[in-house]
Amino acid sequence: MTAEQLLAIMPLLILAGGSVLLLLTGAVRPGGYLYGIAAACAAAALIWSIAMPADAVMPGLAITSFSRFFSVFLYGTGLVALLLAWEYNCRRGITGEEFPATLLFALTGMGAACAANNLVMLFIGLESFTFAFYIMVAIERRSEHGGEAGLKYLLNGTLSAALLSMGIALIYCSRGTLRLAELVAMQVIDPLFIAGSCLVLLGLAFKLSLVPAHLWTPDVYQGAPAPVTALLSTASKAASLAALLLFIPLVESWRGIHDIFWMLALLSFVSGNLAALLQRSIKRMLAWSSIAQMGYVALSLVAAPSGGRPAAVFYAVMYAAAGLATFGAVSLLSGDHDRDELEQYRGLGYRNPAAGAALAVALFSLAGIPPTAGFMAKFAIFAAALRSGETSLAIMAILTALVAVFFYLRVVVTLYMKSPEGQPDHAPPLSVAGMTALAIPTLTTLFLGIYPQPLLELLKRILP
Amino acid sequence: MSIPILSILVFLPLAGCLLLLPAWNCRRLARPIALVVALTELTLALWLYASWKGLAVNPFPQGFLLLEDAPWIPAFGIRYTLALDGISLLMIMLTAIVFCVGLAVSWDSIKERTSLFLSMMLVMEAGIMGVFLALDLALFYLFWEMMLIPMFFLIGIWGHGRRLYSTLKFFLFTMSGSLLMLLAIIALHLLYAQQTGVSSFQLQELLKVQLPLETQLWLYAAFFLAFAIKFPLFPLHTWLPDAHTDAPTAGSVILAGLLLKTGSYALIRFGYPLFPQAAQMMTPLFYSLALIGIFYASLVAFAQQDMKRLIAYSSIGHMGYVAIGIAAWQPVALSGAIIQMANHGVTTAALFCMVGMLDERAHTREIAAFGGLWGKLPLWSFFFLLFAVTAMGVPGLNNFVGEFLILAGTIKSSPLVAVLAFCGIVFPLIYMVRLVQEVVFQKERQPLSLNDLNPREIGILAILALLDIWMGIHPAPLLEMLHVPVQLLTGGTP
Repeated sequence: MTAEQLLAIMPLLILAGGSVLLLLTGAVRPGGYLYGIAAACAAAALIWSIAMPADAVMPGLAITSFSRFFSVFLYGTGLVALLLAWEYNCRRGITGEEFPATLLFALTGMGAACAANNLVMLFIGLESFTFAFYIMVAIERRSEHGGEAGLKYLLNGTLSAALLSMGIALIYCSRGTLRLAELVAMQVIDPLFIAGSCLVLLGLAFKLSLVPAHLWTPDVYQGAPAPVTALLSTASKAASLAALLLFIPLVESWRGIHDIFWMLALLSFVSGNLAALLQRSIKRMLAWSSIAQMGYVALSLVAAPSGGRPAAVFYAVMYAAAGLATFGAVSLLSGDHDRDELEQYRGLGYRNPAAGAALAVALFSLAGIPPTAGFMAKFAIFAAALRSGETSLAIMAILTALVAVFFYLRVVVTLYMKSPEGQPDHAPPLSVAGMTALAIPTLTTLFLGIYPQPLLELLKRILP
Repeated sequence: MSIPILSILVFLPLAGCLLLLPAWNCRRLARPIALVVALTELTLALWLYASWKGLAVNPFPQGFLLLEDAPWIPAFGIRYTLALDGISLLMIMLTAIVFCVGLAVSWDSIKERTSLFLSMMLVMEAGIMGVFLALDLALFYLFWEMMLIPMFFLIGIWGHGRRLYSTLKFFLFTMSGSLLMLLAIIALHLLYAQQTGVSSFQLQELLKVQLPLETQLWLYAAFFLAFAIKFPLFPLHTWLPDAHTDAPTAGSVILAGLLLKTGSYALIRFGYPLFPQAAQMMTPLFYSLALIGIFYASLVAFAQQDMKRLIAYSSIGHMGYVAIGIAAWQPVALSGAIIQMANHGVTTAALFCMVGMLDERAHTREIAAFGGLWGKLPLWSFFFLLFAVTAMGVPGLNNFVGEFLILAGTIKSSPLVAVLAFCGIVFPLIYMVRLVQEVVFQKERQPLSLNDLNPREIGILAILALLDIWMGIHPAPLLEMLHVPVQLLTGGTP
């Protein structure tokens, strides 16, 4: 391995090394300070990815501007989730080394997945961060929902892993290679290859929780600790999107791919938004809404030939900021039990102004109302959809977005317009880490809503 | 011109919100700050009015007095373009006045979360100023939606009655129209990009796009829906009575005085120029909806028991005349419609203020609770009578000018519509006379101990009354200001 290659994969080494280091130090002296070390490692990896723009190709991994962008994005998300978990977990006595170490391990997997240049590495990356989530979802042993959520996620995740590996095997049978670059060059369509690709797509649809592979989402989001849900709904999906973007060029010449995404998009945003309308639990509502939001991402992938990819990634960034802020606010406002019922949020916007404002901004962003990033993101995907002639799909998307406005605003109404009667428990005051963790996504949301140009330009450059 | 005065108009209120932050918990300090910001806006608007003739000597293309243009999001082809012509100048002045009135009228009545209330007012002022000034369709859309959020909070937090229901209804109604308009805006942009290879959202550029009639109809329908909901035209008006009734006084004043005008303004600025043939084809529909609105809303207004609801329904009727003036698309009628927008803004704002003042004293707005106020609240009754008479369209007061011009312009092209609309003028007379008779003149029905207006309230109402009279007696300067843009819009030579 040359020095350049070493420099290029240094973020991955920092994260993996940090994870091992945490396990070792935690065994000697457990405590909250481990979160600080983990945050420092994630920040180091983040800064390294920004500051050292070195491209390198090695067996299995290719560090490109694409992978570096996603690394920065994912490590940033991971950092915010760590800050959220710090206070939340210490409050609940999860002070062991396993949580921060597992989180760093998940980040390593994500970094590897978006830098993969062959299908096996893609699989390993995806499965290693999913594996980390199996642990984190069920990390709170006292929680009655945690175990159930963990088991559901494990069973569904295993199925998706099986589908993915079967798909990759079929592709190998048909093509005789696993390298992405070589696979892209061979655009001959044969049934074996199509079957393999469809299995891979289905496996990725599980990870992105696109309908019809979405059923695990509400239960897992509700049962997992809120900071884990924050990471699961944002970074895990963004990494899966990166994997999807790496995989799509392989099957681009096949017309069926368009129809598959068309159906996935339609089913996701229709059923996601309609089901979210019925929820009383805020975490379940956000879970269904995340299904719908991924439907919009799929909508921009339908329009991939006419500039949909930058729109998809922009949407994912917007969603990540909003998801971190919403689940972050939920986790910071929760005491010993997660504050889950909508009614428990009555008048909270006044008792805890910072968390309330962050939640409100994020919800407006998810609803796509300016001047938040959500509006610009919707603008980008609708422009892409109309440009590729998907008028009917765009109209259906916008009508379901209207439904979504209602249930997002219902939370804002509860936050600011209902009196907090019968809500004796006072929300805990926010720590510095918690404030930072809310401020980062909220400011990102507002900045991207007012001046999205730099990010759009960057995305146009790195995405074909 | 080097000072970006239009940008200042839009962003000064937002800066005012930041100024409020240090005084967040001090109501005594926050209120003057907000009022000073609103008064500065008014000064700027009046200064523009004083100097518009000087600016008109060297106009920008398409007769704009001022134009500010900068790239904003080149990746989407969105520019930051603000422009001012006579029409927007009138609307800007109206906005600045109505916001001063709104802040002054809620000076004492908003006791809870005052700073949040003031900042919402200022954000809304920025949004509405932006709507009246933006010339780039994407920028316009941004402001168009941005002004919804503060209104949503105003009704929801400080409203009365079924405020949660009303505020959600208001938000969802307006959003449903505007989301489809967003698609239409993007589609228009793509068609333009297809034809010219350049991507732009600027109105001046998009006007050049060649559209087949069918496309034009679809796109116009989307725009029309969004504007008709704001207008509001029958049968899309159902959000209005609820929102107006349940909003706090300042909210009703702004809803009726300004928010309804954004719909008619946008139709004049964007709807008709962008899709002339489609608009022409839809004129019969537009006329009939406006006429139905006039008759229907007036009849419903007659049956109301709540004073605020009555005035809300009367707004639908009055905006029906504005709709007719626009539908005629002819210089006289269009100037009338634009003048009428300002007239209605001032008069209805005044009426909502007055009902709010009465509500603060008596804690009810039921018509049946009052009677014989002339003896007990002479000043209040005097102003109420004056504004009621204005709303009836009595000559010498401003509503008459607008309605007269609208009907005079319409009668040439569509005499039947003009005759029907003329008959509709009788209705405000009936329900306003009933209102005045029951509240002001009749015998006292319940013993209420009420104080008459205080100096602050007299000041607000006196200014609005003077405006009503001035615009009624001497509308010529305003009409002169509208002359060039109206001629340009209707295809004549200025």
